[in-house]
Amino acid sequence: MLRNLSKTTLNFSKNALSLEQQVRTTFILKRRYEPHLHKTNTTPKKYRAKHFIYDLVEDTLVKKRENIEVVLTQFVDGVGDKGDIVSMKAHFVYNQLLLPGFAVYKTDENVAKYAKTEAEKNTVVHSSPYAQRTVNMLESLIVPVSMNKDNAWVIEPWHIRASLRKMGYHCKDECITMPEQKIEGPELTNEGKEFFVTITINNLEKAKVRCRLHHWSTEPSERLPYVFEHWKRPAENIFGSSEETVQN
Amino acid sequence: MAHATPQGAKLLNGWKRLTSFEQGLGAQLPEAYKKFWREWKHTKPTAVHYIPKSGRWQRDELTGQVRPIQEHPLPLIDVPESHEGIWGGEAVIKGFQKRDRLKRRVPHFWVPVLRKSVVHSAVLGEYMSVVVTDRTINLIHESHGFDHYLLKTPACDLRSELALSLKRKILKTLEEGCPNLAGSPNKQQEVIKEFQKYLDGYTSEEIDWYGLTYKQAIKKLDAKIKAENPIVPHKLEFRSKLIEQLRQAGIKEAGNDDSEVVTKIPSDESKNWLSKMNPFGKKQET
Repeated sequence: MLRNLSKTTLNFSKNALSLEQQVRTTFILKRRYEPHLHKTNTTPKKYRAKHFIYDLVEDTLVKKRENIEVVLTQFVDGVGDKGDIVSMKAHFVYNQLLLPGFAVYKTDENVAKYAKTEAEKNTVVHSSPYAQRTVNMLESLIVPVSMNKDNAWVIEPWHIRASLRKMGYHCKDECITMPEQKIEGPELTNEGKEFFVTITINNLEKAKVRCRLHHWSTEPSERLPYVFEHWKRPAENIFGSSEETVQN
Repeated sequence: MAHATPQGAKLLNGWKRLTSFEQGLGAQLPEAYKKFWREWKHTKPTAVHYIPKSGRWQRDELTGQVRPIQEHPLPLIDVPESHEGIWGGEAVIKGFQKRDRLKRRVPHFWVPVLRKSVVHSAVLGEYMSVVVTDRTINLIHESHGFDHYLLKTPACDLRSELALSLKRKILKTLEEGCPNLAGSPNKQQEVIKEFQKYLDGYTSEEIDWYGLTYKQAIKKLDAKIKAENPIVPHKLEFRSKLIEQLRQAGIKEAGNDDSEVVTKIPSDESKNWLSKMNPFGKKQET
């Protein structure tokens, strides 16, 4: 170690391409005892053991890392549309956007290159970056639609709206499109069978929501026996074939 | 005495040990390699593990005494593992900690936090899994890409043989015009346009010799020398001489000018030792 130090490190002028390195991570240390001064243009004096006692000035690994700005090259679910400049956490940006090629670093050329053209602006494909999340959420649901066992009814959008609300999802009646065939009841043969309704988000994205019909009575003795974890069981389609409803 | 030394009269200025570039094969290494060597070993690297002092003089806050500033960089240790990853100029520091005034100093190694991550080279069109530090990733972000980072940063700051060999590979690919991206000509043109500026700093020979360790450079030089001066067996030389002599003596059999017969070594494959044997031949009587 001492020999290495005594070697005079020639300070060649670095080429013009050398990087200004501002960011420091990891341990930054400081000598507790400064070595003695030496004559100019001579080898430094011999170091003592105490000159190798270091104090930690800063550990930049535990510092908060700054966000990075990138330009998206295409629509990314939950992040943004093509040409958007987003500022996000460095780790997420590197692993989820830069490495897969969904984004590039923000430079003037990249901003110009990936800006949306007029034609692209007019053809809206996504109403918002987060709409697809809602679609995925809704399509993973099984909505139980509880109808009266004693009085006659026809299922209308507001029934679906109430069922969704019970599950914690709020939507308007206009967003709900019922299947073309009417579902009437009470019809105990349809108990536990499923049908699909379409929910439109932001007048653009469409989610097919799976609903299951259940009959319920105000009289406790009249109620149907409880089926344990009925939502985990396979269910038939209310209209017979499943393909028909998918088209709806 | 001076005349008997390799330095000759230069000995008057003091004895100097021959460096590895002044003896043996090392003396034959080209200037292109020496240029890289200076960039790698003799350039002062950027301060990573300490805060450099600026200016020439500093005043003691307590006494007001003015003292010159003399820099003493912390000695860094490049462990073998650092050459298998890209640590972004970080290294292991060996030293002591004094944890309490009344406690003896204790040895301590400060080792960077290493992570396994993926880097993407646009020039090579490849994703690589490498061991990096957070500093490496930060530097990649700062220079807007892995290729920019490697090409911008001098060898002394890369501090990794892996990074240097990748840099050589990238420079070589750029020089050849990215033949690996020939499948998509648009992308190829974009990449060449983006990175062409880095080729200005190097000649073709310098790229060839860039990023080699001393051992690798010697090996390369040795192979080059051997390829230029192939060893020819003496028997071929002597045979051709003999035939020449015979020809001059006017012997008829040596007259036909079939150079191939002269220079060719008779292959032993055709004369198998089994074919020489004749089990049914007459037994030799002793």
